[in-house]
Amino acid sequence: MLLLALVALGGSLVATLTLLGVLLLRLREAERRVSEKETTQESVLDRLQENEYRLRTIIESEPECVKLQAEDGTVLEINPAGLRLVDANQAADIVGRQIYSIVAPECIESYRENMRRVFAGEALVYEFKAITLRNRIAWMETHAAPLRDARGNIYALLGITRDITEHKQAEEQARRHQTELARVARLSTMGEMATGIAHELNQPLSAIANFSRGCIRRLRSGGMSPNELIEPLEEVCAQAERASDILRHVRAFVRKSESQLKPMDVNQIVRAVIKFTEHEARQYRTLVRLELDPHLPKVLADAIMIEQVVCNLVRNAVEAMVEANSQRREVVIHTRRFAAQAVEVEIADTGPGIDATVIDQIFDQFFTTKREGVGMGLAISQSIVEAHGGRMRAESGRDGGAILRFTLQLSEQQAHKRERADSLHS
Amino acid sequence: MNEPTVFIVDDDLAVARSLHWLIDTVRLRVETFSSAQAFLDGFDASKPGCLVLDVRMPGMSGLELQERLAAQRINIPIIFITGHGDVQMAVRAVQAGAFDFVEKPFNDQDLLDRIQKAIACDAGRRDREAQQTGLKALFASLTPRENEVMEMVVAGMSNKAVANVLGLSAKTVEVHRAKVMEKMRARSVSDLVKMAMQREAWSKA
Repeated sequence: MLLLALVALGGSLVATLTLLGVLLLRLREAERRVSEKETTQESVLDRLQENEYRLRTIIESEPECVKLQAEDGTVLEINPAGLRLVDANQAADIVGRQIYSIVAPECIESYRENMRRVFAGEALVYEFKAITLRNRIAWMETHAAPLRDARGNIYALLGITRDITEHKQAEEQARRHQTELARVARLSTMGEMATGIAHELNQPLSAIANFSRGCIRRLRSGGMSPNELIEPLEEVCAQAERASDILRHVRAFVRKSESQLKPMDVNQIVRAVIKFTEHEARQYRTLVRLELDPHLPKVLADAIMIEQVVCNLVRNAVEAMVEANSQRREVVIHTRRFAAQAVEVEIADTGPGIDATVIDQIFDQFFTTKREGVGMGLAISQSIVEAHGGRMRAESGRDGGAILRFTLQLSEQQAHKRERADSLHS
Repeated sequence: MNEPTVFIVDDDLAVARSLHWLIDTVRLRVETFSSAQAFLDGFDASKPGCLVLDVRMPGMSGLELQERLAAQRINIPIIFITGHGDVQMAVRAVQAGAFDFVEKPFNDQDLLDRIQKAIACDAGRRDREAQQTGLKALFASLTPRENEVMEMVVAGMSNKAVANVLGLSAKTVEVHRAKVMEKMRARSVSDLVKMAMQREAWSKA
């Protein structure tokens, strides 16, 4: 009875799992003892039957799917909740058959690996995609533990499984929503950067026009040999490529894409952003100063996403100083090593700083101090940095002004190189 | 006379090279600088010509360079090249004394015409300045007495009247007057009057 009470109280899957394991073990143990002694004592048999009945009741009434699997994947036992979960009408539909018959092909390999680990003695929680007996696709989560006999040999996997499809869908939706949000934020940033991009594109276009017109004038006046055309035409080609690089960059910035983490040079990312925000900074009489450590190792980053973060932070700084009508307007971007495995980017301004009463809220969605702000910039920036395995912090500087810092992990290659270098030194 | 030079200051090396290539077609000397500071450091103010300047540059901007040149009383005509949507900046530049501005992307003939005009303007200014210094030197060569005589002659007084006022003999005034005409390289009294009027105009300016 105590056990039953515990089951009822326990609630958590793990507790249930442990209890079921203990119960099953006792039952088998008792069976073994009975058969060994070949006793016919009524009381022992009664107790045995009573135990078995109790256990059956627990398992049968358990709202989650409870099942036993053999090492080769054969389903040994399954409770009614389990039958419902896999869309089976009766136990015979699934008991005695391979669990792999309901595991989606792309998940079979990882499922096998998990089975192997459980039969090696580990308790695990794993997810897999299932195709039920009625061909319904569902995401499952299983808490699995090895079942041992009295000699300690693992003879089955005890699994409690539940349908997490809805949860998975919600997660997926949230992720998609986040991606879309980031894209929209990028688009609005783009809109604001349009003038900067126009200026940037004007450079190669002007150069192309000048080189071409220089050629036409020379050709018209007849004083030019074909050989002399080669050099200016090469310049024209190079400038056309420069223009298309800018456009490619812009396109990549707008594109809605899954993040692609690659070894990147942080300084290069910062410089790319400054190119596009320079225009705005100049317009608001803001000096952007770069203090970049030239010897930084590469970090693992999606360049476009980190550009967006830096862009947001720089624009925030500029806007804060403009709104506060700061006399001295300066944004300083530092890059430096941070601990052994990361690089830190710091954006400091000479604006009014961050009010101590709101410093804990500034990363919250929809929190804004700007008159026309939406309050998404910092929230998105922080989630991007965290998705990169980094951290973002904010503080007020000693001489006023706001300081925003974020870290990015070194790319693994770099980290290994470093380790090797360190071990050589020691 | 020194040949005029077009000085190009643009941090974008490709744009600077392309301007050089274009301006070469009208057979003008070209010197390019990659920053405002490089121009200030390496520029010889005695060379005639004009300055083609990008408004936006990292470090010292085109407008700042304009201010610095004005502070040093370097009057080289400046043609600003402005990007898309920088008209406000261009207006500021012209108000501060820039010769002209062209908006990118610009018409080649347009730019070359403006460059020619700017060079002509610079040449005119240099001529006037040379004249002015020359004339100042001429006036400076007069003795105080000759200067007094010159002032009165220019005011239309006769030798006799001058002699009366200064208490000199008509003969002495005659000698002073001949000396003034010779030193000032004036062929007639009306020449002298013109020179005196010019000096007055400059001292007022």
